[in-house]
Amino acid sequence: MHISDGVLPISVTVGGYAASAAIAAWSAHRTRSEELPKVAVVTAAFFVASLIQVPFGPTSVHLLIPGLAGALLGASAFLAIGLGLLLQSMLFQFGGLTALGANALMMGVPALLCGVFFQRFKGRTRRRQAIIGGLAGALGTALAALVLALLLATGGEDFFGVAKIALAAHVPVVVIEGLVSAFTIGFLAKVKPALLEPAFVQSEKAAPCLR
Amino acid sequence: MNGCNDTPRRGKKLLTTVIVCACLMLAAESAPAQTPAEESPQELAALLAEQSSSLAGELRRIQREIAALRADLDKPGIQEVFGGIGYIFGLFGTAAFVASRRRDPKPKE
Repeated sequence: MHISDGVLPISVTVGGYAASAAIAAWSAHRTRSEELPKVAVVTAAFFVASLIQVPFGPTSVHLLIPGLAGALLGASAFLAIGLGLLLQSMLFQFGGLTALGANALMMGVPALLCGVFFQRFKGRTRRRQAIIGGLAGALGTALAALVLALLLATGGEDFFGVAKIALAAHVPVVVIEGLVSAFTIGFLAKVKPALLEPAFVQSEKAAPCLR
Repeated sequence: MNGCNDTPRRGKKLLTTVIVCACLMLAAESAPAQTPAEESPQELAALLAEQSSSLAGELRRIQREIAALRADLDKPGIQEVFGGIGYIFGLFGTAAFVASRRRDPKPKE
């Protein structure tokens, strides 16, 4: 689910770049230096996850892990996803360079939302964290499909038609990502629960609503 | 091809046959030297059709192979994967280095 060059109108492309640059700057500002290794690892995982192809009928869709990245990184997720997408478009030719801003919005905004969702609803128990993590993982991809439909709708496509197709094509990915995220977060909750406390809850005392 | 059904134009027919045979032998050397005079145009046409169909099959196979190769080229290889991971760790390493330099001087002084 990457938008290619020349699909979106110029205004949306430029607007996507501007919006994602602003969010990336905010995300970088919120990233603490102690978090950098963790952000790097999740970025690398996001970058590589797109190579895992899920065969689906005649075509195949690949894993995108915006939900997992958001749950693990919180506010830094947008930075991680932007960098991962930049390298994917340069090295793998996934999505065009001109559509990078729109792509970053498409994956990054759901990641941030999933981060908020996960931090808000994860309880204390490992089981609950795994379940909420799985839900966040599934939610991330579904939201990304919706944002994709929204972006394509600006190019004159029918929103509900595209949304239906995008969601239908990603049903297997949503399911698999839910399972992968649930497993990953359950595992992390067991071996290193500190990883599940993103900085944007800890460092920002001005955001009590997230607790 | 002309002159297939007229007996008076035998000379022209023979000439055509010879030319076609020569072309055939030039084009596909696999065809052994056949006596041109004894080949009827129908046989020649059948031969031509057979050869062209086999060539078309071969071509289709090669085209398919080229398409498969192109699809393989589109897929990212192991080099790109590790290169990208290297980029990511390098960039974040640099960022961490810069951040640590920025923080370091305070406790020393």
